[in-house]
Amino acid sequence: MAENRGGMRPTASQNNPANVSATGGAGQSGTQAAQYIPGLPYGQGQETMQQQMSAPMAGATSPQIPTPSMNFNTLLSETDNPSEPITAGASVGPGPGREVLPKSLTGDARDAENVQIVAKYIPMLMEAAKIPDAPDSYKRFVNNLIEQLPQGQM
Amino acid sequence: MQKWVRGTLFDNIDQFANSLGYENAGIVMQLAMVPWNTPEDRDEFIFAITGDIPKGGGN
Repeated sequence: MAENRGGMRPTASQNNPANVSATGGAGQSGTQAAQYIPGLPYGQGQETMQQQMSAPMAGATSPQIPTPSMNFNTLLSETDNPSEPITAGASVGPGPGREVLPKSLTGDARDAENVQIVAKYIPMLMEAAKIPDAPDSYKRFVNNLIEQLPQGQM
Repeated sequence: MQKWVRGTLFDNIDQFANSLGYENAGIVMQLAMVPWNTPEDRDEFIFAITGDIPKGGGN
């Protein structure tokens, strides 16, 4: 009686060259499967298969792309340098002053900046100084700004 | 009639100007425009950066 072993069926999924996983599949414990290489001289096909099985190649792994940390501090966050006063480098408060800043950052542009601010906000600031119970400390600040205005800008 | 109200922009300007110094008018204006939740939050911030109580409000 003839034995039915199935034989080669060209339409079987394993014979379809397009039937491969786009991502390489889950793999075999992180290794590439041994693959028969046709067209080799007699005996070398078996030898190549045995070599592949004895020393499987590492499977393809997805490259690990480092992602930048998105933990931005806010104005009111705890300091990252608790041993350093948060005013280090500033002209007010504890810690070293502006002399510790790089030279490129120490250009004092405050006077020019103040003049710009005075010109922009002084009408509004003066109006608020007329509020009956406006504190003297506020009025002193506004008067100081007015004094900084170049002549003829009022 | 307008009244001076604690926690308004002008009150913030007063507190920051007299705490940080008149020569820092730029940063005074910028900090005064921060939407502080409460005047106490603002004062706590001033204390944190100056090491002193806020000096505005006629203080």
